[in-house]
Amino acid sequence: MASRFVIGIDLGTTNSVVAYCELGGKQPEVHLLPIPQLVATGTVDERPQLPSYMYLPASHELAGGAFDLPWQTGSRFAVGELARVSAAAAPERTVGGAKSWLCHSKVDRRQPILPWVPGLESESSDIARVSPVLASQRYLEHLVAAWDRAFPDTPLRDQLVVVTVPASFDAAARELTREAALAAGLPEQFVLLEEPQAAVYAWLVGTGDRWRQMLRVGDTLLVCDVGGGTTDLTMVGVAEEQGELTLQRIAVGEHLLVGGDNMDLALAHRVAELFAAKGVQLNAWQSVSLWHACRQAKETLLAEGGAPTHTISVLGRGSKLIGGTVSLEVDRQQVVDLLRNGFFPQCTLTDRPARRRSSGFQEVGLPYAADVGITRHVAAFVQANSSEGRMPVTHVLFNGGVFKATMLRERLLEVIGSWSGAGSPRELAGNADLDFAVARGAAYYGWAKQHGGVRIRGGTARSYYVGIETSGLAIPGAPRPLRALCVVPFGMEEGTSCDVPSAPIGLVVGEAAQFRFFSSAARQTDHPGDLLASWNEEELAETDSLETTLPAETEEADAYLPVKFQSKVTELGMFELWCVSTQDDRRWKLEFNVRPEQDA
Amino acid sequence: MGRFFIAMKAFFRVLGGGIGADQIDAVLRGEPARLAAPPESATIPGSPKTVKPSSSKPEPARPARSDAVTLLATLQREARLIDLVQESLDGYSDAQVGAAARDVLRNCRKVLDQSFAIQPIRSEPEGTPVDVAQGYDPGVYRLTGNVSGDGPFRGSVVHHGWKIGHCQLPTWTGSREAAEVVAAVEVEIS
Repeated sequence: MASRFVIGIDLGTTNSVVAYCELGGKQPEVHLLPIPQLVATGTVDERPQLPSYMYLPASHELAGGAFDLPWQTGSRFAVGELARVSAAAAPERTVGGAKSWLCHSKVDRRQPILPWVPGLESESSDIARVSPVLASQRYLEHLVAAWDRAFPDTPLRDQLVVVTVPASFDAAARELTREAALAAGLPEQFVLLEEPQAAVYAWLVGTGDRWRQMLRVGDTLLVCDVGGGTTDLTMVGVAEEQGELTLQRIAVGEHLLVGGDNMDLALAHRVAELFAAKGVQLNAWQSVSLWHACRQAKETLLAEGGAPTHTISVLGRGSKLIGGTVSLEVDRQQVVDLLRNGFFPQCTLTDRPARRRSSGFQEVGLPYAADVGITRHVAAFVQANSSEGRMPVTHVLFNGGVFKATMLRERLLEVIGSWSGAGSPRELAGNADLDFAVARGAAYYGWAKQHGGVRIRGGTARSYYVGIETSGLAIPGAPRPLRALCVVPFGMEEGTSCDVPSAPIGLVVGEAAQFRFFSSAARQTDHPGDLLASWNEEELAETDSLETTLPAETEEADAYLPVKFQSKVTELGMFELWCVSTQDDRRWKLEFNVRPEQDA
Repeated sequence: MGRFFIAMKAFFRVLGGGIGADQIDAVLRGEPARLAAPPESATIPGSPKTVKPSSSKPEPARPARSDAVTLLATLQREARLIDLVQESLDGYSDAQVGAAARDVLRNCRKVLDQSFAIQPIRSEPEGTPVDVAQGYDPGVYRLTGNVSGDGPFRGSVVHHGWKIGHCQLPTWTGSREAAEVVAAVEVEIS
């Protein structure tokens, strides 16, 4: 059955959004889907965003159908606004930030480890923990059900679906996202799209054909997406092809865990100090309430033309609202300086973010960024991806709620401009709804695929390598030296496959073969078949290993089979690696092993 | 012979009472047999019992709660308006009341924007001269001052009026006991 709609799903770290567009129209008309969700027990409301949180209630809270949804009775968990509110009140029962766990290779992401309580070995048995993959699946199930309820004649599994992932998601994280999506009921043929590209598409759909007048060949566009908890950077170049301007994604940055929430917390800490100076000690409940008050205050204080002082109040608990309120005035300039200089400090192009000093034991939590100076991260990214022939950053596209504040946008433009003599880059205006741009862009991308609108050429954002042990003299106690064989070059186009030229690799039939797997965003010139004998630790990042087991077909014990690798990037944005026998036509697919390394 | 055994089973089942008795009675009266409810899949937490949203199956009847109570509950949950209004103002200075009221009022505005999208009826600034046609709707315009004749009237806008853009309140799905609750009791367990 031909799809009637294209649906763009922004599965965000803090909020998820669904946008859709009818495929038949001449012009793309993108709308947002209102998502019914629990906003309090027993209360269902429609909101344009679904907060990516999950609340796991105790069994006594479930009485009376308190967590019922229009499409589901007897639900034993809640996804959405209710869960987001409970993250502050009951953090041990709330799952948040599941998406950032999907690309964290140090844990087994299919094990029920969330809600993450550091140091606790899942003692509280009445909390039904979930895995990051299952949490993502639950969010998607909710979105699918919301769509099916709104459009019962055109269920989601029959439509064209585009799901966005951060550009920094490597192949293993994409695989897990796909797994969660298929389990949630998305169609087999759904497409993965990188979020910064979706932001550019949203800008394109808003600007229309005028974009060709706003950009010139050789322009470099930096997409800077700072959301609630994460920062993602992407560089897009403007090139020319057969007389037409085209956009090409040049490079992506790492998945940085710093965002608007850090700013709220910084402000809350400062205000708590001011309260303490006045002799007011805040208890735990008041601290949480202060955090929420600071989130609101941040928006007011960073907006243009605000008053010189602002009152921050922590309302009294219980029904004595006025009697229990404590409040103080903060000076607007001090707050602006704290947030702007703390998170967007002036820096030079060669400044690097401070690295976390790793001590003896490793804590297996999320790798929050040690340095919250976002401009320093941008500097490192721009420096790593600037080459002689390429112009410095000429335009910046902002995305994410943090950039609603004009002064932060201006500061970032100013800092980038100070790195090159060419003046501040221009801001690409037009993304009116910074919260919804990614979903809208995803829907437009699907429409453009059908109708032939402008597409951003991308290919893979990283090069991928397989670890090959070398044969040679074995030394007791020392592992065999490892070489990295490039199997996917940087920028390999979607829908292409490549036979990796190399000496045959020996696999033992009947045993599991495991290969260490690396990716690099920095090495952009390696070709498939290049064997690296040594590399910089910063260049290659190890991710989940790949494994396969060749079924033992003959009676020979220890039968040895020479294979070569064949890599493939599907149209859907997924990466596949196959072992192809050199003697006959047999081939086996390598699967990602997402369990943590045994001997980390 | 099979029917004899079925009859005997039915006889003893009805005598013993329990689930089977009602169903057999229904069948004898000619009504379709009501099947027992499937057991709750309580072992796997969170596994959804997906209900196909087809239009033919009506959603189960819910205990009703007035939309007015839902609005109060929303204003209390998101803005704590009831706490503010119910508290006596005696003994507090203006600054104290103001410090508490600011946040409450701002959040009330958010709730009203979300639920009603309240907007002015007339967009001109107050004080501009305006014409009111003959046969106006007295529910939309209220004329004061020197009013004589049947119209049309000329005057100046003193209050631009308010109207809603939409009316969208959350749906309530709680129990009968909770139908009168505007805000639940908060108990802190130590």
